[in-house]
Order: sequence, then C-alpha cells, then structure tokens
Amino acid sequence: MNPGLAHLLIRLYPRRWRERYGAEFEALLLDCDGGNRTLLNVVWSAACERISPTQGGNMDRDPLSFGAVVRRPSALIPLAMSLTALAIVMGHIAMYGHAREADEGAAAHLWQILMAGQLPVLAFFAIKWLRRAPRQALEVLALQAGAVLASMAPVFYFNL
Amino acid sequence: MCDNYVMRSTRNVVEAEPGAEMGHYSDPPLLVLASLAGGPKHGHAMIEDIELLCGTRLGPGTLYGAIARLEQQGWIEPLPPEERRRPYRITADGLRFLRAKLITLHQFSEVGLQRLEPL
Repeated sequence: MNPGLAHLLIRLYPRRWRERYGAEFEALLLDCDGGNRTLLNVVWSAACERISPTQGGNMDRDPLSFGAVVRRPSALIPLAMSLTALAIVMGHIAMYGHAREADEGAAAHLWQILMAGQLPVLAFFAIKWLRRAPRQALEVLALQAGAVLASMAPVFYFNL
Repeated sequence: MCDNYVMRSTRNVVEAEPGAEMGHYSDPPLLVLASLAGGPKHGHAMIEDIELLCGTRLGPGTLYGAIARLEQQGWIEPLPPEERRRPYRITADGLRFLRAKLITLHQFSEVGLQRLEPL
C-alpha cells in the first residue's frame, strides 16, 4: 500500500488507539495492497473502534473511572429509559397538548412502564457498584436521578 | 495480496460473512490465538498463517481489532518490536482459553457430523 494512503487510514482511528498500535498497524498496511477491500476493511474497523473503543493493552482506562462505570449497561439502560419516557411525554404534549385526559392513553402506560421498569436495573447497579466504586456509582446514580426527575417534571408540571 | 477478507466486529463471533466461501471459519480472536499457539508472530505473518490454517484471510483492520481485544483480555502479549513490526505471543491464560474453546468446538463438530451421517 502507498505510504501516504496508509498514513491517512491510520488517522481514521482514535488518537489513543493510534498511540498504541499506529506504528505497527501502518507497517502491516504497507505490506498489504491498497485494494478496495483493504480500504473498506480498515475504514469499517476504524469506525467500529470509534464507536466501541477497544482500550486494549497499554491504553487501559481505569475500569473504575466515571467514564467506565457510566458505560455499564446497568448504568446506561435506566438513563435510556428515562430519556425515552421524557421523549414520549414531550411528544404527546407536542401532538395533543397538555390538557388532562380522563382515560390514561398508551403514552401514559408506556411512561409508567419505562419508569417502573428501570427500578430493578437501578437497584442492581446500586448494589453492584456502590461497593466497588462508591464515588463513581454515586455520580452515576445522581445522573440517573436527574434523568428520572427530568422525565417526571413535565408530568407534574402539566398535571397530566 | 490482502483479498477475500473477513470484515466484522470482533466482539461477537462465529458467523460466516455474506459472500464468504462456505466452510470458511471466521472467529478472528480465536483464529489469532490458534495462529499464535504455533509461536510468536507479527500481523502479516498471522494473516498468512490463518489463511493456511483455515482458508480465511483476515483484513488488517479486523486483525488489529482482534489483537487489541485479546491483549486487553490478557490472552496475548506484545514482544519487543522488530523494526516497525511488533510480534505477539499467546499467554498462559490465552492457551487455557484456546484449549477450552477448541475442545467445545471439537465436541460440537463431532455431534453435528454424527447427526449429518444419516441424512
């Protein structure tokens, strides 16, 4: 492969990955041809690395850092559920206004399911992570509490 | 040179890519471990060895995705670089994992082939 192209392809990877693997990966690319399959393979792998960083070898981030803890599924799922619930409420208000309805509709039921459904996940997260990384777990729990309050705020504000 | 690639995420494994030839096995981390079980190698030597081993030619991006994840798990480790190429070797944990995985695959293939016999 052309050295200029190899160097350009390396730039697609995150900086931390390049610092660890850049030189040896570039040497490997120089041994490969510069065909479309190679290009596509490297572009795809670089995109995957950006979406889901490997953090391999010496790139290890502290597994108990806030960034690492908040990426845990048990931390992300309640956040996603709260934000989905908020989106449902806001979407409902945008489409139908904020007049209180006598009968609870599908949006209300979805909101209730999302809010109640995240409680076991929150409990699991708290039990697992408060022991391992108390400060980081409390920060994540505060973030989750903020998301819960944000999704509850329009419901109580508009008395839905 | 680098042709007929397997291009995939290295998080989940064991699925033939569309277009890949039938019978080609594509589990990049396992292929890398199997290659390194034969001795330390750098990236290009691994690609060649894996192609000899099972006919699958890993793309350079796929290979380094697998290497990074295996290194993170402590199943392979880097050796001092030779010019710009860095060889890797399998660790004791990597060997244990590889052996367990291959035994499972062996049992799986035996039972699968037995079931195919009457067909």
